[in-house]
Amino acid sequence: MTDLSPLCALGATAPRRVTHGALTLAETPDCGLASLALRTGTPPPSLPLPEPGRWHETDGLTAFWTGPGQWLVEMPGCAEVDAAAMLGERAPGASVTEQTDGWVLFEISSTGGAEPIERFLERAVNLDLTRFAPGHATRSTIEHLGTYVLRRAEDRLGIWGMRSAAESLWHALETIAGRQG
Amino acid sequence: MLIPHPLLGLRDAQEFTYLGDARLIERPTSGDEAELADYVFQRDNPAGLHRELWFHEQGDRSWLVVTRNTLTHEILGAELARDVSLARKEGTA
Amino acid sequence: MKFSGFRVVAEALRGHKGWKPLWRDPAPQSEYDVIIIGGGGHGLATAFYLAEVHGIRKVAVLEKGWLGSGNIGRNTTIIRSNYLLPGNQPFYEFSMKLWEGLEQAINFNAMVSQRGILNLYHSDGQRDAYRRRGNAMHLTGAGAELLDQDAVRRMYPWLNFDNARFPIKGGLLQRRAGTARHDGVAWGYARAADLRGVDIIQNCEVTGFRIEHGRVQGVETNRGFIGAKKVGVAVAGSSSRVMAQAGLRLPIESHVLQAFVTEGLKPAIDGVITFGAGHFYVSQSDKGGLVFGGDIDGYNSYAQRGNLPVVEDVVEGGMALMPRIGRARLLRSWAGLMDMSMDGSPIIDRTPVDGLYLNAGWCYGGFKATPASGYAFAHLLATDTPHETATAYRLDRFARGHVIDEKGVGAQPNLH
Ligand SMILES: Cc1cc2nc3c(=O)[nH]c(=O)nc-3n(C[C@H](O)[C@H](O)[C@H](O)COP(=O)(O)OP(=O)(O)OC[C@H]3O[C@@H](n4cnc5c(N)ncnc54)[C@H](O)[C@@H]3O)c2cc1C
Repeated sequence: MTDLSPLCALGATAPRRVTHGALTLAETPDCGLASLALRTGTPPPSLPLPEPGRWHETDGLTAFWTGPGQWLVEMPGCAEVDAAAMLGERAPGASVTEQTDGWVLFEISSTGGAEPIERFLERAVNLDLTRFAPGHATRSTIEHLGTYVLRRAEDRLGIWGMRSAAESLWHALETIAGRQG
Repeated sequence: MLIPHPLLGLRDAQEFTYLGDARLIERPTSGDEAELADYVFQRDNPAGLHRELWFHEQGDRSWLVVTRNTLTHEILGAELARDVSLARKEGTA
Repeated sequence: MKFSGFRVVAEALRGHKGWKPLWRDPAPQSEYDVIIIGGGGHGLATAFYLAEVHGIRKVAVLEKGWLGSGNIGRNTTIIRSNYLLPGNQPFYEFSMKLWEGLEQAINFNAMVSQRGILNLYHSDGQRDAYRRRGNAMHLTGAGAELLDQDAVRRMYPWLNFDNARFPIKGGLLQRRAGTARHDGVAWGYARAADLRGVDIIQNCEVTGFRIEHGRVQGVETNRGFIGAKKVGVAVAGSSSRVMAQAGLRLPIESHVLQAFVTEGLKPAIDGVITFGAGHFYVSQSDKGGLVFGGDIDGYNSYAQRGNLPVVEDVVEGGMALMPRIGRARLLRSWAGLMDMSMDGSPIIDRTPVDGLYLNAGWCYGGFKATPASGYAFAHLLATDTPHETATAYRLDRFARGHVIDEKGVGAQPNLH
């Protein structure tokens, strides 16, 4: 009998977690992800959708803007269910695609308030921090890797990266966090 | 260089890839071979203001028409290529 | 004034007071047989070969700035003949042969140094591509050796062979390749052309062409009109600007390429090395500086200066290949204007205007071409037929579908 045991993106059965000074990096495998694209003529979905460059949370679902007419929707706890089908019910007529397996989510939190998070961002991405307050979300690159960065709160970030490059992205994030500790 | 994205504000040019002269939007449809060869290969390549296509590959995947001075690298503006293209179609319709 | 070892000793004994300027500073004459626009390497070499090979001496080279102010004085001095395609490789091998006899031909020490170029490969696919290229090089007698990892280790034990992402598996070596002193090449050709009667006129910018009944009559300049039976344009990154004055559009975009040099170090790298997994190449100058570069910035530019992302990219490539470069301090960085053509290969051809000839599209690799480019352009100007090694460099090859695309990336200049 084949004995299949689910692995996290970083290759272990348990998610990885590390703390450097005020910053903690945590692999977060249980969040489902689906994309949502509106088609011309379809009714607006029963889920408020944020403006360009922003995220918005309703009923535990966080939608963030990814391009004109397009969003990704985070569904915590839904990594092992059919996330797309659940989202599809709330957005009839829209194009909804399962994305969970293509991505990896790393959450970064600070015990020292906003300052360590902002210092981390200064080193990780070329974004204007005066325009990256809580509520903002954007796509950018970290060490040449494409990522989505969400400013969840003054002291918290979510970073989505390619699952196939999970180890490289983790290495980059941990190196940056370690250098400022 | 920072590109003023119409939706997202100033963004690092590193997030973009560059295609070239914005006249590439105006692909000829006549079927004339010489006209197509001209479209594919010949460029004005001006020293000074240049309207050009940049793709926000590591961003929202929009194509932009950026106006930039090739002598100084100063960027004077950016529009969504989709708007430019739609306006052009309305103009010719 | 002829240069020789005896002359150097004699001048040393009298305090170096007998050296004369290497070329005259003549005022423009009213008319020439041939005017060459652009006093870079290609323009000066063209003038030399016009006089030397074809006996055409009523020639002027018009340079808008000072001699050597363009790419000829900005490049990273690598000379090689390791191309793949039949349209290119015989031409570059011809150039390599001219380099080998250059210093005797022009009686000037251009410090041609055949120290070898090693192109590293990092995967099986890349090795196979280099094997194919090596075979193409052998067909023209250029010489090539495919080295395995052990052989590369013996040459450069300090390279980062076990880089996790880009391990070095081996390399393609052309021993006859190397470097030459770039401004020495410009000065040497200028002096040799001047000695044969060519007028080298600096601070003379061409601002327009006089064309009557489809035939060029001469050029307008900031120093007045100068008549000519034939005009050859060799202005590298300014090709589109200059040819626009004759009403022509070109299959060219101008891009910016940067280069870098460190402080002088003890001898550390005795050849030229190129990284195969990113864009980075390096050699050491005779003064000891590590001279290195990488990709063009990638957007149209006439600014002669680049931006920081490419600096970062080049330095990352260097650190991946040879981490010890991180200990060296950067002395200077600079940039030049690349005439990037639509297939990455050059143009040496007549134009639709009678008497007007074009030498352009050298991209970031025209220094190695300097002797052959001048030779072939002079041949074309003198005989109205292309030189046998340059028959493929036609202006109409794009419309006719005969592109010479070494990289196979299509009409996208910033990818060549
Ligand atoms: C950073 C860098 C690194 C490079 N490295 C290498 C290398 O390692 N190996 C290699 O083979 N190649 C290399 N190249 C490319 C090579 O230097 C060029 O392809 C080659 O020098 C171009 O020919 P040229 O010497 O005639 O150009 P230039 O020296 O640029 O000559 C053109 C001249 O035309 C003049 N001009 C322009 N407009 C006018 C006008 N209107 N009137 C009169 N004069 C005008 C300019 O002032 C200029 O002096 C490099 C280039 C750069 C910038």
